[in-house]
Amino acid sequence: MMKAEKINPKDISRPSEQMVELDPADFMKLPYPYDKGEDEPAFKRLTEDQKKKYEASLDGVLAVSIPKPATKEEEDELVRKFLSGLEKLLTKENNWTFLQPLTLSLEYCAKCQTCNDACPIYVSSGKKDIYRPTYRSEALRMIANKYLKRGGKLFAKIAGNDIELNWTTVARLAELAYRCTLCRRCAQTCPIGVDNGLITHELRKIFSQEMGIAAAEIHTLGSVQHLKKGSSTGLMPVALKDTLEFLEDDIKERTGLSIKFPLDKEGADILLIHNAGEYLSWPENPMAFAIIFEAAGLNWTLSTDLVGYDAVNYGLWYDDVQFARVAVKHAQIAKKLGVKKIVIGECGHAHKAISVTADRIINEEINIPRESSMTLLEDLVCNGKLNLDPKKNDFPVTLHDPCNMVRLMGVVEPQRNIIRKICPQFREMEPHGVRNYCCGGGSGFAIMSSMNFPNWRSSISGRMKFKQILEAFQDVIDPGIKKMVCAPCSNCKGAIREIFNYYNAWEKCGISYTGLVEFIVNAMVDIKEPYIEWPEI
Amino acid sequence: MLLQLLSYLAVAVFVLGILTKVVKYLRMPIHVRWELYPIPHEKGREYGGSYFEELNWWEKPIEKSFIGQIKFMVPEILFVRGLYHDNRKLWWASFPFHFGMYLVIGWLALLLIGAILNIAGLSPESVPATFLQSLAVIFGAVGFVLGTAGCIGLLILRTFDGDLRAFAAPKDYFNLVFILAIFLTGLLAWSSSDPSFVIFRDYLEGVITFNPATIESPLALAHIILLSLFFMYLPFTHMTHFFAKYFMWDKVRWDDERNLRGSAIEAKVKQVLNYRQNWSAPHIKAGKTWAETATEEVE
Repeated sequence: MMKAEKINPKDISRPSEQMVELDPADFMKLPYPYDKGEDEPAFKRLTEDQKKKYEASLDGVLAVSIPKPATKEEEDELVRKFLSGLEKLLTKENNWTFLQPLTLSLEYCAKCQTCNDACPIYVSSGKKDIYRPTYRSEALRMIANKYLKRGGKLFAKIAGNDIELNWTTVARLAELAYRCTLCRRCAQTCPIGVDNGLITHELRKIFSQEMGIAAAEIHTLGSVQHLKKGSSTGLMPVALKDTLEFLEDDIKERTGLSIKFPLDKEGADILLIHNAGEYLSWPENPMAFAIIFEAAGLNWTLSTDLVGYDAVNYGLWYDDVQFARVAVKHAQIAKKLGVKKIVIGECGHAHKAISVTADRIINEEINIPRESSMTLLEDLVCNGKLNLDPKKNDFPVTLHDPCNMVRLMGVVEPQRNIIRKICPQFREMEPHGVRNYCCGGGSGFAIMSSMNFPNWRSSISGRMKFKQILEAFQDVIDPGIKKMVCAPCSNCKGAIREIFNYYNAWEKCGISYTGLVEFIVNAMVDIKEPYIEWPEI
Repeated sequence: MLLQLLSYLAVAVFVLGILTKVVKYLRMPIHVRWELYPIPHEKGREYGGSYFEELNWWEKPIEKSFIGQIKFMVPEILFVRGLYHDNRKLWWASFPFHFGMYLVIGWLALLLIGAILNIAGLSPESVPATFLQSLAVIFGAVGFVLGTAGCIGLLILRTFDGDLRAFAAPKDYFNLVFILAIFLTGLLAWSSSDPSFVIFRDYLEGVITFNPATIESPLALAHIILLSLFFMYLPFTHMTHFFAKYFMWDKVRWDDERNLRGSAIEAKVKQVLNYRQNWSAPHIKAGKTWAETATEEVE
């Protein structure tokens, strides 16, 4: 085992059983009632078999789970492919999408380490060196400088690029690319403008676009399934229609309202696209949207076309090609329906994917306007288009800011204005808004469930968010007082759900979570029964 | 004469080196949007909001705040504000280092103006010339002191702070020692042999008029040589962040320009979608354009 402190970037090349050992005793302390550390679950270790079979020498956690190559030739071929992928990243034909941002970020890091403390993973882990935002970036920068630049090998030592590109390095970088949620808090603090989140993103692209290596949940079961079957959840159009019929019955039962989901309605004003995970895990969310949209008299539709009913775009996290394919599909469907705009449901990365990043992919005749549901809902709630009674939401509420929606897209106030108007006991987390912390499930982590990765996610990448939530509710932390986290994003809800389960947050603190529209429907005067459901004790 | 040649060479290499880098960044194709909020030119949205907060935002004109951007940039550039908030320990060294450098650049500019005025026939004893020279003394002396202190501080931190040392390369120490030598020779030349910086002004006058000036002071000579060498070295280092920040901030971090129908952005996107990609993963067919790749059926 290597020394746990001050690991240099070049140490990534040195074969060892494991670079760092993760011990909950080192993790960042949580507030009351977790301050004694007694409720910290034991960290799940890999079995010897798993360690033998997969490349786990980074930190004993497996997210990508690359099988160990059988021969040295196989290893060498993978190393060669890695380098060829890195080379392609630096060409405009292969990487026009990010060439300029990547080049700048590779060329200008002053290694001041200012970004380190902005990273919730680095801080939560007890400041493990390999989780510094600068660590994987510097390793990649060193490889690029040494192996791709003229004279790189000659001046490697003086220039600080004396890293060895071997299979150990590549295998560890593959896992390390999935120890960052791409929240880009680090980039926000960089005094120069270097974006280590972007470098992680580009690193993932080498593995996916050149080597065909990615976390199965976001590629094979994610974007590939999305494009082939219609949704990353595996939900196919026929099943979607059945689900919606069931939800219509559920709406009737819970609210007395007879609502029919409008499907494939040509010429509607709005094409609403949800993260399809909502239909399966949180059906009350698309139901609430339907209730609100119908109450406001909007002319809207859902699509049942392949891809058109699932707003996710996992390519955003790891693969530009998959990203472009899904973004174009969404736009083509909107064009076919002849809608005036696409409205994105409560899904943070779908917001950023289709509104921001795909703005320079969806071009010409398929460039249909895209709008955040937060903005549309704010108009309905704050301009008196719905009959609402805030007293129906009279319990402590805090708001989680999805990174993709807030720091990376600038949709900050609409959701706040809604919550302020209808939740009298609203309190902010600190920090919030564009300085928020990730839920820990960003960049695909919320849906990744390989080996002991969920354990890592809940205890490390989601730890800062849990700390913030506990701090926001410290004055009402008694489990007898029911309180709610509003998380207007499916992936964030998934991550928060897992954290709460991991730490028994409902039993110990009375904290639950839901989306934004649930609060709106819960406050609707015409709906007699409470819409928000609390977990059963 | 050799000294002057070195100075001419330094200016030429500096300008060419910087221009080469600028052209390299300018020639890069349009990239997808990857902005990071807050964006200071978003008028009235200092909290970090964007035009996406507006209902039907595409129907509304975008109001950009030039003042907002200036209000952000001035303290950032002059006082290294980001570091002050996020890395105070480093700021105590980085601020004097950078501010000292700005003052020394100001000192050079003042001496240059003084030299030009002298060439133009304004007496060095005249009130404007004396004022300029006095200002140059303040800028130079304070700049050299601050720069020296900042450099020493950065060297100490780079050497003794474990986090910084873990990432430090011989090149990083060399850069700091190089800059320290420039500040230090300037400081010592001023304090020992050129208290009014007349030697430096006359040297610049000689450079402008192609008349070699003899430098008697070894410290001043060392300062000029080191400074000239540094000008030649700088374009090939990450220290060009002084202009690269424009690209990193304005062209990436704050680039929220919309792709509207018929816009220049639309035309650029059309062009890049016709690039042929050559990726090798099984789910990608190499040799196709991005437009084809994005619309082909997935097997």
